[in-house]
Amino acid sequence: MKRYSFFSLILFALSLASCQDVIDLKVDEGKPLLVVDGYVTDQPGPYAINLSKTAGYFSNAPTPRVRGAILTISDNEGHTETLVETDPGKYVTSTLQGKIGNHYILTVKAEGEEYRAEATIKRVPQIDSLKQMYREKSEIYDEGYYVQYFGPELAGKGDFYQFKIYKNDVLENKPGDLTVSSDDFVEGNYISGPEMNNDPFKAGDKIQIQTCSITEDNYKFLNELYLQVNNAGMFANPPANVRTNLVNVNVNSTKKAVGYFGGMAIRSKEIVIQDQK
Amino acid sequence: MKNFKMLLGVALLGGLLNSQHSFAQTPVLQQRVSTKYTNVPLSSVLNDLEKKYGVQFSYTNNRVSMDQLLTADLNNQPLGDALTQLFKGTDLDYTLVGNQLVIKENQPVANTKQSNAKLTISGYIRDASNGEALIGAGVFVKELSTGATTNVYGFYSLTLPQGNYTLTYSYLGYEPQISELVLDADLTRNISLTDQHIKIDEVVVTATKVDEHVKSTEMSVNKLDIRTVKAMPALLGEVDVIRSIQLLPGVSTVGEGAAGFNVRGGGIDQNLILLDEAPVYNSSHLFGLFSVFNPDAVKDIKLVKGGIPAQYGGRLSSLLDVRMKEGNSKRFTASGGIGTVSSRLTVEAPIVKDKSSFIIAARRSYVDLFLKLSPSQKENQAYFYDLSAKFNYTINDKNKIYLSGYFGKDVFKFGQQFQMNWGNATGTIRWNHLFNSRLFANVTGIYSNYDYGLGVPQGANGFDWKSRIVNYSAKADFTYYLNTKNTINFGASAILYNFEPAKISPLGNKSIFLSRELDHQKAVEYAAFVDNEQTLSTRLSVQYGLRFSMFDYIGSATTYNYTGELIDRKTPINPKTYGNGELIQRYNYLEPRVSARYSLTESSSLKASYNRMAQYIHLITNTTAASPLDVWSPSTNNMKPEIADQVALGYFKNLRDNTYEFSIEGFYKTMSNQIDYIPGANLLLNSNLEGELLYGKGRAYGAEFYLKKNTGKLSGWISYTLSRSERQIDGINNNQWYVAKYDKTHNLSLVGIYQVNDRWTVASNFAYGTGIAFTTSNSRYSHGGLIVPHNTFNARNDTRVPAYHRLDVSATLKNRQKPGKRWESEWVFSVYNLYAHRNAFSIYFQQNKDNPEKTEAVRLSVFGSMLPSVTYNFKF
Repeated sequence: MKRYSFFSLILFALSLASCQDVIDLKVDEGKPLLVVDGYVTDQPGPYAINLSKTAGYFSNAPTPRVRGAILTISDNEGHTETLVETDPGKYVTSTLQGKIGNHYILTVKAEGEEYRAEATIKRVPQIDSLKQMYREKSEIYDEGYYVQYFGPELAGKGDFYQFKIYKNDVLENKPGDLTVSSDDFVEGNYISGPEMNNDPFKAGDKIQIQTCSITEDNYKFLNELYLQVNNAGMFANPPANVRTNLVNVNVNSTKKAVGYFGGMAIRSKEIVIQDQK
Repeated sequence: MKNFKMLLGVALLGGLLNSQHSFAQTPVLQQRVSTKYTNVPLSSVLNDLEKKYGVQFSYTNNRVSMDQLLTADLNNQPLGDALTQLFKGTDLDYTLVGNQLVIKENQPVANTKQSNAKLTISGYIRDASNGEALIGAGVFVKELSTGATTNVYGFYSLTLPQGNYTLTYSYLGYEPQISELVLDADLTRNISLTDQHIKIDEVVVTATKVDEHVKSTEMSVNKLDIRTVKAMPALLGEVDVIRSIQLLPGVSTVGEGAAGFNVRGGGIDQNLILLDEAPVYNSSHLFGLFSVFNPDAVKDIKLVKGGIPAQYGGRLSSLLDVRMKEGNSKRFTASGGIGTVSSRLTVEAPIVKDKSSFIIAARRSYVDLFLKLSPSQKENQAYFYDLSAKFNYTINDKNKIYLSGYFGKDVFKFGQQFQMNWGNATGTIRWNHLFNSRLFANVTGIYSNYDYGLGVPQGANGFDWKSRIVNYSAKADFTYYLNTKNTINFGASAILYNFEPAKISPLGNKSIFLSRELDHQKAVEYAAFVDNEQTLSTRLSVQYGLRFSMFDYIGSATTYNYTGELIDRKTPINPKTYGNGELIQRYNYLEPRVSARYSLTESSSLKASYNRMAQYIHLITNTTAASPLDVWSPSTNNMKPEIADQVALGYFKNLRDNTYEFSIEGFYKTMSNQIDYIPGANLLLNSNLEGELLYGKGRAYGAEFYLKKNTGKLSGWISYTLSRSERQIDGINNNQWYVAKYDKTHNLSLVGIYQVNDRWTVASNFAYGTGIAFTTSNSRYSHGGLIVPHNTFNARNDTRVPAYHRLDVSATLKNRQKPGKRWESEWVFSVYNLYAHRNAFSIYFQQNKDNPEKTEAVRLSVFGSMLPSVTYNFKF
């Protein structure tokens, strides 16, 4: 389920004379917007929600944190709690436990506005096993080890996943590493060995793969986000703002928030790469 | 140098002679003739001389008694003397007109017909060297100051009152021919014109009496001579029809390397590209770097941007009419070239001399052949090829058949990991029929196919994906030459489309993928048209017509309605199933077309036009440059046809005896049902594609300035376009108008071709254009550690990439031709992007690869350097 970027292959074909360079560009930064970023999962808490503001694209510094906001999360079992700001802009839960099938409502009161977002934790399949595979250098692959995924895909349509890779406990998090997938073309098939990583691993690397179930809207959000952070080349799409599930409770307010509050169930597997050369 | 001066002298002399009679005079009559005739009928004598000595005779059957018997013993006499001897004692006489000998009989004029009877002179105008029909060649009647031009098959017809006339047959770059005739019966005159380039290396200024540029009602039309296209500097030496078109007024592109071209603010799918009347769906090789047309097989290129005649329809913005050569009907010739990217070979020959001929032209890129030499590259493939073939057969004077075909393919394969291919195939069968000298008919059957495939040959990701669009069409076009004042065109056509948007199947036993095929879509497009080119007075002529088009979207299919938020993926509801051939949705439109010309002076005119165009099929593409994987879709119950209305007004002027053509045109165009896409739209393999589309309107307006020098040592043009193309689509740019991605405020092109001497020709292109519009990200935020670009104004195309400019140069060196040898060859040296300007194709926003906290704007230049190339061409 490695995401094939056909157009990067096409770009390869065109790379005879093409070139890319960084240029200076002046942009009108506009007014900052509130940004929400956080997930409730079926793993033990606490769960963190980060509040920040948008910053100029070329500001090249962490975006400003939003402090002193009031955040609450409630679920459909009647549990409601107010999150605690442990670090500037980082709000965490204390007793909430996410469960597959449950719904969650986040409210954010900040800077005189109130925003709301909803999330659901959906079902997730197990990973049966991971295998390693060595590849020589070629146009498409760098030399090294690739991890293959084996496991079921749940019968029935409408499952959406995000796959995460932790290499030596650090999330592989370059724009191209974001991997989301729908079961549209796989639906119920056994997943027998697609390679998960773009960049090869080395012998001794400890690799953890996580399968995270997400909702369709969350999938669309991440898919749009993927397009925007990887939107390059001759066959780029026109840039478009990524959707958000944050809604201003006051429908008459012109202030808007961006970002996403989601829910996910996570299953994972680990493998330590053996030298097999 | 001495040589050159002498040639110049000959050329000037030739030019002077030209104004009187043909340059070919001396050789024809001085040809030595040895033969003996004893009481041989005139007809046989003429046939014999034609056959033995290649002399062309012209006569009017009922004005000359062909059965009178002649006697003469000719012994190495000049042809002139021989004819005098043969005609002794008869009323026969001859005159040399051009390189034709006109035979007359000085019999008393005993005519029973009324003197005001309307008679028709018709025929074909061809190239003397290879028998190719000349498209748009002129016939001018001196006495009436009227004329006609040949159609795309080289046919002309003039209906005149009985009388004596002097006709001038002319075609740019060819020796004109003057023919004096007594018109007292319908007359067929087939004319062969001689290419000036063949006779002398100096281009002689031709006073084209029938001056299309100023005199025709046609406006917003650009014709490109394939010789000009070949002389222009080309990217990596690949002579390219589409790239040359991009240097014409009103034509732009989103960037070099992008497929197709944009005409007057329209999308690339709004151009009807016809190759011998068959539609071509993807005009590019290598993702857009080169065009699919093999220049050696192309005869004529015509781009119509406005005032599109009623005969053509189905696209909003333009008609690009590419005509293939017919094949040399005089003798076998082969030509070819070895280039930096590809090599070409063309052979053409008569099958039955002057009756039937063929041409086959092939081209293939060969970088991959070198790749294969290296073991690590052995399994990789990357190449394109195309094959053009045409055959024609003249059954008799009234019937001619043409068969033509094109097949092209691009193939990429990276070992066992990825493969991809795409290509067009077209086939055309045409039948030209002359019902009589005034009614010309062409019946055409067309097959056109565009397909692509991609996939991974094996492994868990193993899959194969195919998509194609096929159409079959039939049409009949008629031209009725009513009289000198009216030419009526009428006809009808039907096109059956079959769209196969996508079929995906797993490859190999390990594949995780399911088989899936999107429903095929079927549609039929019908059209009927009639138009009349009418001369109202010497100053005013109009062409007015009406096209009726109808589109049936038919089953089998399951249709839906869509509901949901405007800029989100909409949900299909109300499924309805239709059986095979069952009508789902019908659209029809009346498309009026009018253009008019008003002559201000002999050399200047005002023209105006209006056209309405309906387009029923749409290219679904949401990328900066269209990719070969984009699919075409018919209009459906949800997707409405696109309609455009365009008005254009122009001033046309010829200067210095038609050496220069100048025009200014202004246009205004509105377009409805323009398609755009929701953010993150999934356009491939989506059975509910219609749920991801947005619809709106477009408008484009501008002014085009064009100065062209046709003849002389220096030829070329300057073109400048000032224009704007905008869209308004609910859900985009806060529902406000925004500029289209191919909008260019200023667009300037200079093309110069200079013939230094008989061996060297140098040429240069310069292009300058406003940078294309793109959408900025003015702010950023973080999600899960990734930096997400955001436009807080929610705007589209709010900034421009820096202006585009580029200079190309080329030089052609003709090798000396050995006396008596047919072998001609030349070297073409060219440099594309001479001063290595890094033109921005696009600018995008990304996290720095090494420091993800850092965000930057990156400029992508498709060609960041200068690209030199060498090509060797030959011909024999």
